[in-house]
Amino acid sequence: MGELTITPGSACQGCGAALAARLAFKALGSNVIRHGIPCCPDSTTKTPRFSTVFEGGGAQLTGTSRGLKAIGREDVMAVGFYGDGGTYDIGFQGLSAAAERNENIMVITKDNEAYMNTGNQRSGATPKYARTSTNPVGPRSRGKPRPKKNIPFIFAAHYVPYVGTASVGFPEDLISKVNYMKTIKGFRMLIIQSPCPVGWRYDPAKTIEIARASVQSGIWPLYEIMDGKTFKLNYKPKELKPVTEYLTPQARFRHMTEEEVADIQETATASWENLLKADEMGRLII
Amino acid sequence: MIEIRLHGRGGQGAVTASRIIATAAYEEGKYSQAIPMYGTERRGAPLTAFVRIDDVRVRERELVHNPEISIVLDPLIAKQQAVVNQLKPGGLVILNTAYPPEAVKIGGDFNVATVDATTIALETLGRPITNTAILGAFAKVTGLLKVESIEKAIKKFFPGRLGDMNIAAVKRSYDEVKGPIQAVVKEAPEQKVDIHVGGYGVLKDVSSWRVFTPEIDVDKCIGCKTCWIFCPETAIQWDEEKNKPWIRFEACKGCGLCANECPVNAIKMVRVEV
Amino acid sequence: MVGNKAAATAVKLAKVQVASAFPITPQTTITQYLSEMYAAGEWDFDFVNVEGELTSQVVVQAASRTGARTFTCTSGPGLLYMHHPMQTTGSSRLPVVMAVVHRGYKGMQPDHSDLMSQQWTGWGHQYVEHAQEILDSVLMAYKVAEDPRIRIPIAVGYDGYVLSYTAEPVEIPAQEEVDKWLPPNKAMPSVLPDEVDPSTFARGWGGGDPQMPWKVHHEAILKIEEVLKETMDSFEKTFGRRYGNGMIEEYMMEDAEVAILAMGTIAGTCKAAVDRMRKEGKKVGLIKLRSYIPFPVKDFREWAKKLDGIAVVDRSICPGKGGPVFAKLRDSLFDQEEKPKTLQFHAGLGGKEVRVHDFEMIGDKILKAAKGGKVEQVTWV
Repeated sequence: MGELTITPGSACQGCGAALAARLAFKALGSNVIRHGIPCCPDSTTKTPRFSTVFEGGGAQLTGTSRGLKAIGREDVMAVGFYGDGGTYDIGFQGLSAAAERNENIMVITKDNEAYMNTGNQRSGATPKYARTSTNPVGPRSRGKPRPKKNIPFIFAAHYVPYVGTASVGFPEDLISKVNYMKTIKGFRMLIIQSPCPVGWRYDPAKTIEIARASVQSGIWPLYEIMDGKTFKLNYKPKELKPVTEYLTPQARFRHMTEEEVADIQETATASWENLLKADEMGRLII
Repeated sequence: MIEIRLHGRGGQGAVTASRIIATAAYEEGKYSQAIPMYGTERRGAPLTAFVRIDDVRVRERELVHNPEISIVLDPLIAKQQAVVNQLKPGGLVILNTAYPPEAVKIGGDFNVATVDATTIALETLGRPITNTAILGAFAKVTGLLKVESIEKAIKKFFPGRLGDMNIAAVKRSYDEVKGPIQAVVKEAPEQKVDIHVGGYGVLKDVSSWRVFTPEIDVDKCIGCKTCWIFCPETAIQWDEEKNKPWIRFEACKGCGLCANECPVNAIKMVRVEV
Repeated sequence: MVGNKAAATAVKLAKVQVASAFPITPQTTITQYLSEMYAAGEWDFDFVNVEGELTSQVVVQAASRTGARTFTCTSGPGLLYMHHPMQTTGSSRLPVVMAVVHRGYKGMQPDHSDLMSQQWTGWGHQYVEHAQEILDSVLMAYKVAEDPRIRIPIAVGYDGYVLSYTAEPVEIPAQEEVDKWLPPNKAMPSVLPDEVDPSTFARGWGGGDPQMPWKVHHEAILKIEEVLKETMDSFEKTFGRRYGNGMIEEYMMEDAEVAILAMGTIAGTCKAAVDRMRKEGKKVGLIKLRSYIPFPVKDFREWAKKLDGIAVVDRSICPGKGGPVFAKLRDSLFDQEEKPKTLQFHAGLGGKEVRVHDFEMIGDKILKAAKGGKVEQVTWV
């Protein structure tokens, strides 16, 4: 597989999303029209590129996919590479509708858990307690008060052919998921957790370390859901690492009390147990 | 009116430095203005900021095009002739570099002062954020503002312990600055480099982004390709014949991810020599 | 055939490849007609039922980028919801054609405030009078929008209810003739991975004169005037019908002393009023404004030399500012020495009926003003 990114790009040092783009497009190959909406500059790719309004991610993929069909070029893949703002929040409506129509498109989200392009404002993808520039910590605020939206499950509940999660800390899993998506048709979505040194406030050298700890502690489990029912957990350690391994290196969680850490631990453990059960059954009950 | 231009990188605090100068001027009863040249700067990307100080309200809102003073927060940008482009004759450039002003290669009709702000920042703040570590030098060599006013302004931006650390950086920079002297090099060709990078896209060379640079010990390397897989910028290239990595330095931003991930510690990050 | 059926029929004749729309009164039946056409499989046509107007605009925008011929349609609030991506379609110079079935914001009845509020989006804006003109104008819109000199999206506006749901005879051109006259669209340049120019990959944002894209866009829209006039000639040659020079359509103007300037369905009512006034010996004519953007500046400057008065009937208002057509007309004539008396009439807002006798009143007022009589500058009809 050749590199499909043109580097150096204008991403920050140690950018998780720049790596997510590099790995995903490397796996996708060159028969792709890449679609963008406002987001951080991750990596430029050797692909034709469409862009549109922030809220139009699902719609532009739909238009391209239908247009390609009209001109007899269904072999070309319409791929969206969007941020969490464009997926979880402002672009959610259009993506949900595209999923419901089961458009023949691929949506890949580099999830860095806040609006990083504008300076770390909270998004629907920001985890509970994380400090952002719009969830400062003070007498009335403990960071973000509510948990991250479970966007993969929300899209799985559209009964689409494929929804998967991935992490830049697990490149082989990421690449094999993209490869699988290439073999099927219909609405396919991959959410890639992409640590952001600037917004999460850690040393840029630790991007992979943190991405890995997130998966190993059950904060960001790697799984895939087919047709809204078939469920597979792709990474199953014998024992989860404590969530502190994930939380402690990040200054966005530095203010957290022991009780708050225990809250995150409890949630992570409970949801991990549910995922293990689903994995055992091989299906989700939605 | 005094016009100042600051050169730095995203994350070094050039914009904050411009605001501290403007605030300090205000503290001394002057009017001031601090304009950031915001594009879509990223951590590490070159950027500029501007300050105007006057006895009357500053009305112009255009960018500063002919500054009296150029303050350069970054040791690598400090090597580029472009930092003195359109500097007023007889003006002043304050450079972040370990070298004395006599050794500075950029030239023209201006004075040069130097201070090793990166070392000061690393030693007082623990991070290469050089904005306050150059402001002491600025106060001393320009005499425009009292160092006390700068310290007062810093306290407004950084309350508590962080403020104290930054004030310590200012004090050291005030003591350690060298110069100003007339630039040693008299004639230097104007550089056609856009040191402000606006917008998104592909860059030619990001070598100057690095404060630390990776060094590979090929004997230690076991050829596992981990560094190659994880490099976001494809700066790590793989030599299939030797089964060893090599670094495309123009693409390396010095994040240190490769060194952190190498299972046998065959890569270490060393301070960039300037 | 009702107005909306005429629009849908034009879509079929133009062999549109991808259409997308969200139902909104009074545009709704177009989405139904298009859905039926899709289901019948009459030609290679894809219709995307979407969850909102913003999506429909972006769908046709992206499909147009691939080179497909596209169509969308909406009304009033739906058009407002499209405002954001309309800018992208305009700036990207994509030859999308859209029918705007006018619906005002204060109530559901038609006025032109919906399309008028989209002036800054970088589209060509046309206003039409009757069902035949809808069909013909949509076909011509493709011819103009896809012209390599233009590549600008065009909105064809017509009034809801009194036209969208009103039945009248429409002559349908033969498919073979349309096919000959309107060849397939092509993406310019190709966006396919195997055909695209690789030197465009590394092109980022920024750099260059940031004002230049606006200048280029503005000048391309101004060029519509020339191409629309050409298109009207070739349309007449092929199909035997024409609507003035495309920019304006004159009615009883040869010997007119004064003109009423109106657009949309009420221009038809105005024609009836002109007939009556002519019988009474009043030398009144109508100039129907077809293209609001670009504005027929040259045509009006010529007419201004010959006329004693122009009554401008605006069916939209920018609150606190006034009627947009009145303002633009006076702007066009400001530096010309010979210019007629001009009066502003606000009519048909909120769908208020504009009747034949209203136009007779307007005609009388402008005649009086033209003869030097004292008439108030602004009248709410």
